[in-house]
Amino acid sequence: MSTLAQDPSAVIVMTVSDPSPKWFTGRKKSTLIVARWVPLALVGLPVLTLLAIVIYPTIWMFYHAFQNTNMIRLFRNDWSYVGWENFATIFQSERFTDSLQNLVLYLTFGTGVEVLLGTIIALILYEVVKSNALRTVILILVVLPMMLPPSIVGVLWKFLLTPSNGAVNHALLNLGLISTPIEWFNAGISLWSIIIADVWNWTALPLLIIYSGRVSLPPAIYEAARVDGASGWKTLTRITLPMLKEVIAIAFIVRFMDAFKFVDLVYVMTSGGPAQSSELPAYIAFQRGIREFNIGEAAAYSIVIFAFSAIIITLFLKYLKKVLKSQSIA
Amino acid sequence: MARLSIEGLCKGWDFPVLDELDLQVEEGEFFIVVGPSGAGKTTLLRLVAGLETADAGRILLNGEDVTTVPPYQRGIAMTFESYALYPNMTVFKNIASPLVARKLDRHTIEQKVTAVAKLLQIDHLLDRKPGEISGGQKQRTALGRTLVADPKAYLLDEPISHLDAKIRHELREQFQTLEALHTVGTLYVTHDYSEALALGDRIGVMGGGKLVQTGTPRELFDFPSHAFVAQQLGQPGINLLMTSLTEDGGKTYLRSRDGNLKLILDEEQRQRLNGRSNAEVLLGIRPQHIRILAPRQKAPAKHQMVDARIEQFQPLGSMGIAITRAHGIDLKALTPPEAAHIGAQEVRLAIFSPAFHLFDPISGKRI
Repeated sequence: MSTLAQDPSAVIVMTVSDPSPKWFTGRKKSTLIVARWVPLALVGLPVLTLLAIVIYPTIWMFYHAFQNTNMIRLFRNDWSYVGWENFATIFQSERFTDSLQNLVLYLTFGTGVEVLLGTIIALILYEVVKSNALRTVILILVVLPMMLPPSIVGVLWKFLLTPSNGAVNHALLNLGLISTPIEWFNAGISLWSIIIADVWNWTALPLLIIYSGRVSLPPAIYEAARVDGASGWKTLTRITLPMLKEVIAIAFIVRFMDAFKFVDLVYVMTSGGPAQSSELPAYIAFQRGIREFNIGEAAAYSIVIFAFSAIIITLFLKYLKKVLKSQSIA
Repeated sequence: MARLSIEGLCKGWDFPVLDELDLQVEEGEFFIVVGPSGAGKTTLLRLVAGLETADAGRILLNGEDVTTVPPYQRGIAMTFESYALYPNMTVFKNIASPLVARKLDRHTIEQKVTAVAKLLQIDHLLDRKPGEISGGQKQRTALGRTLVADPKAYLLDEPISHLDAKIRHELREQFQTLEALHTVGTLYVTHDYSEALALGDRIGVMGGGKLVQTGTPRELFDFPSHAFVAQQLGQPGINLLMTSLTEDGGKTYLRSRDGNLKLILDEEQRQRLNGRSNAEVLLGIRPQHIRILAPRQKAPAKHQMVDARIEQFQPLGSMGIAITRAHGIDLKALTPPEAAHIGAQEVRLAIFSPAFHLFDPISGKRI
């Protein structure tokens, strides 16, 4: 401070002749901003973390899928190679084929309904609700369930669907829609209970994706449609939906990928029961590995799920790329 | 009876975009509205199309009041500045869309669309999607969609402003030759004065939410009723200088307020300024009425000589623009492009005085 006060020109010299402060450049030979090890460390730490929690376990899984590893053998270090035996066990078990059936049901009626409902609500929200404030309030309300942890959602719906005196049965009985309480957690119905809870939990995600897609469609096209004389229905089916096709596909893929690793609600609400009737493949893998310590078979399950989802998602992405290319977006 | 007539049209109360605007497009007329961006040109078109509702005033199509009629029942067709093509449909379907909405049979649609596509030279692109064609082709497609609708009036919103110069000229020619646009009535909006002068049967210059002046291109260019109109038309823009009227030795001069430029008025101009002695006058001189004289060249008839200095010269291919400074006043002059007036040079300017535009400095109106 004192030197500046003595020589005001010093300030000007510093700011004019040397606009870049000294700390951006090295003083002597090196012109590095930071030492050499810093970028390595910054990139290296995440890479190491990734190795530790993703890549190493994946390799480990692929290895043990072909071993007869269980918990005891794992600790004794005496597992041995069994070839494709684990996979054979899986594909021969009825438990697996049943769970595949459940998965197909869940994908069509869970994920499918979520995307369908999301699309409908998003478009109603955009086209029908004209007040911005009301729109915001509705969006917040709709998004709330998505913010709850799945375990809480599971417990919540378990309460709501309790056959005797659960809120849902109570309401249905009072409305006269049913005469006897629905046994929500009986075989054959329990999967549907999970699907209902999942739809409640996740509809908001496709809704948000599709809503933002609708917002970004150019208004001039809709004005052209009005001048052309296109009806509301035609505008929806010929303009809005075709233009949202990719966005809807993306929303579907996002939910689809989640569906393959969907375990939490099954675990909390039914534990796969009764009698394994509401199990999904990922839940069996979890059961076999973490609960029953049959690590080899669980690893094989994981690979099967991985392969299924990889194939389907690759097909999806291929389709998406084709669509985007035809509109010369990608 | 006019094709399209607009009476006292208003939009917006606190900050009016359109303020009691009147306009008439006659049968078969190509009417161009030109004005700076933000003047409300597009709003005017959108009101005529029915995409926005008027706050006051009437819109008549063929004598029928359509002010509150929904867009598609008005029988108009509009092209949009952004083309507004349906990206998921082919060029064919895009052009066909107004016909499909009217539920015409497939054979008629096909006939009409191919005819229009041929006319616009896009018949080889009918299977492509808008993402796969160029900007000029997109504009032709949008134009095709408008032409095929066979409307009572065409509305064109800056249809060629965003295309590159070469295609713009091609399409400009096309607008002149397209018969349909010259048989019913076309309202064309642009900010490009040269488009307006080249294409318009009549032009309206828009400013302050109204049409400041309407008339044929020549009328507007040669006799602008307002300094604003003179400013809007012409590139480079008109030289406007504030002057005051002075009498000296039996002659009437306009003396520039800044600097010391003195220009003599002729008898006719003096008559016009009668009773305004010592008043202020806004003087407009078009750049093409200022010539740079070669050394020792005599001033042509009816020209006045002024000493000046060339500050800047832009050769533009077919012409050159010289920015000169004469007695402290900047004057732009159009010159032949070969005249290499590089660097500061002392020259003499010859100014064609009969083409002076005189405006009232306060109201801006022509005197």
